[in-house]
Amino acid sequence: MSDSPLVVDDVSVTLGGREVLSGVSLTAERGELVGLIGPNGAGKTTLLRAIRGGVPTAAGAVTVTGQSVSSLSAREIGQRVATVPQETELSFGFSVKQAVAMGRHAHIGRFGTPDETDQAAIADALARTSLESLADRPVTDLSGGERQRVLLARALAQATPVLLLDEPTASLDINHAIRTLETVRAVADDGTAAVAAIHDLDLAARYCDRLVLLAEGDVVAAGDPDTVLTSETLADAFDATAVVSHDEVTDTPRVTALPAESTPTADEEE
Amino acid sequence: MRVRQRAATWSLGLTTVLAVAITLSAGIGPVRIPPETVVKILLNAVSVPAGIEIAPLSVAGTLQLPVPTLRWRPAIAFPVDQTAETIIMRVRLPRIVLAATVGFALAAAGTVMQGFFRNPMADPSIIGVSSGAAVGAVAAIVVPAAIPFGLGLRGAAFVGAILTAFAVYLIATEGGRTPVATLLLAGVAIQAFLGAVIAALQLYSGEGLRAVVHWLMGHLGNAGWSDVTITLLIVPVLFVILLAYARDLNVLLLGEEAAAGLGVEVERTKRLLLAVSAVLTAAAVAVSGVIGFVGLIVPHMLRLVVGPDHRVLLPAAALGGASFLVITDTIARAGATEIPVGIVTAALGAPFFLYLLRNREVHAL
Repeated sequence: MSDSPLVVDDVSVTLGGREVLSGVSLTAERGELVGLIGPNGAGKTTLLRAIRGGVPTAAGAVTVTGQSVSSLSAREIGQRVATVPQETELSFGFSVKQAVAMGRHAHIGRFGTPDETDQAAIADALARTSLESLADRPVTDLSGGERQRVLLARALAQATPVLLLDEPTASLDINHAIRTLETVRAVADDGTAAVAAIHDLDLAARYCDRLVLLAEGDVVAAGDPDTVLTSETLADAFDATAVVSHDEVTDTPRVTALPAESTPTADEEE
Repeated sequence: MRVRQRAATWSLGLTTVLAVAITLSAGIGPVRIPPETVVKILLNAVSVPAGIEIAPLSVAGTLQLPVPTLRWRPAIAFPVDQTAETIIMRVRLPRIVLAATVGFALAAAGTVMQGFFRNPMADPSIIGVSSGAAVGAVAAIVVPAAIPFGLGLRGAAFVGAILTAFAVYLIATEGGRTPVATLLLAGVAIQAFLGAVIAALQLYSGEGLRAVVHWLMGHLGNAGWSDVTITLLIVPVLFVILLAYARDLNVLLLGEEAAAGLGVEVERTKRLLLAVSAVLTAAAVAVSGVIGFVGLIVPHMLRLVVGPDHRVLLPAAALGGASFLVITDTIARAGATEIPVGIVTAALGAPFFLYLLRNREVHAL
């Protein structure tokens, strides 16, 4: 076995009698950003939950930094895997800094208080997400995009070898989406193994080193964005007709979805 | 570091408020005693260890064992009026200390329940603790023969409270998971059911009706030191456990999924918080009856003032609850005829809370 921070080996998950994941395998290396793509209900969120031990696995194993997730306590997992949730309750009037500081929970003992390492991690997370100027504002006063950044900062403050993101850009405008992914990209470049479920295929292609295409709980395709994003795989997975062209500006694949009935023609392919 | 300082500052300030409230309250009553006399009497009651005595203890008749015991002596001896001292130490202080302890327990449990349920309407009795205590107490009054083991009124109330909380927990738990929404609804249903039981018992209570109504309204009167001791021993221990989980409670406010991701053992933490809060509430309700409002409104008041961080809020709310109940109980007993303290807590607390609500920017909960 490799010493990859994250190894998902042939994992199956059954929820309510239905098999949501069937034999999914995936690895993420240090410094790598892996994009998890696929239609709604493909099992992306369940896979992320399985990685952090949030759902029991029926078969297979998740290994984080060499240790099986099922043998770790919640606290030990919290020191190894951080998650940016799609949305979360931030309704209580905590300040931005307090909310981000909660990312350190797993690192602080029951009777302890944050030490210099914790303070440094919090400051670094605030800086990376450009939240310093908002640090003392109540979370409830922020816009949706700013709150999403708070969630990202909280996960960064956890300072874990593995970072999971569940649709981090789903509710963001294009500017905030780009900024979020730039931050995630930078964090990955610094040595974190990041796995992000992303709906926007163009953004996924642009920022991820590798893509894993899930459909009906199965890995349909995995590899370079260029090899995963093809008309054939997308037609299979999304049950939609899509044209994949090349974006000259970003030098990455561009996906144009078309209604299922229409057939792509030569001129649409540009 | 900053959090600890804030917690310490607020705790110190609110302890001072409590000390002042206790001193003033002890002076108020049919016999007025000036505060400085009260302070002298209270200081006279402070004992310090004066040395170790070796007292011979005979074992089995013949063998003599030297046993060291601490000898205590009063630290200070102000000359004070004996009658005043008796009134304060034997009559008023037990009741005041009981009020402080009950208020402390109810406000602490209420704070935890509101955070736990992420619901502003949550109070200490939300999982049926008060209703269970009421059934136990009313049964003890109406059909004393039905209470086994000579538990007495308080014992029956305490056991009723704990059994009810446990039943609600079991009903709401499936496969090791206790969803908060299920727990809340199970609590509401059980409270409604027990309400019917209490009403039925009242209907057939006959001679005992006055005693039943008196208990149900909440009361702190006729408290002696023996009533206070057990509650005074239980409450601080349980509070320290809750305080140790204050940061987990903060994280739980983000939702259980997020809390698990941040390293909280969610189900285990929930079980512990529930159990400790239930015992804390039961210990209070068993001695004082159902005193509403303290556990619901005091946490909100303090949350508006000190913010949502439980490391600061929990001690602040508990101390605030203690002062609040000491003050309201003093008002309840200050008039010509004593009124149930529950009436005073609601009548005074609600307007004050509404005032805070209007004058503070309320973000959420």
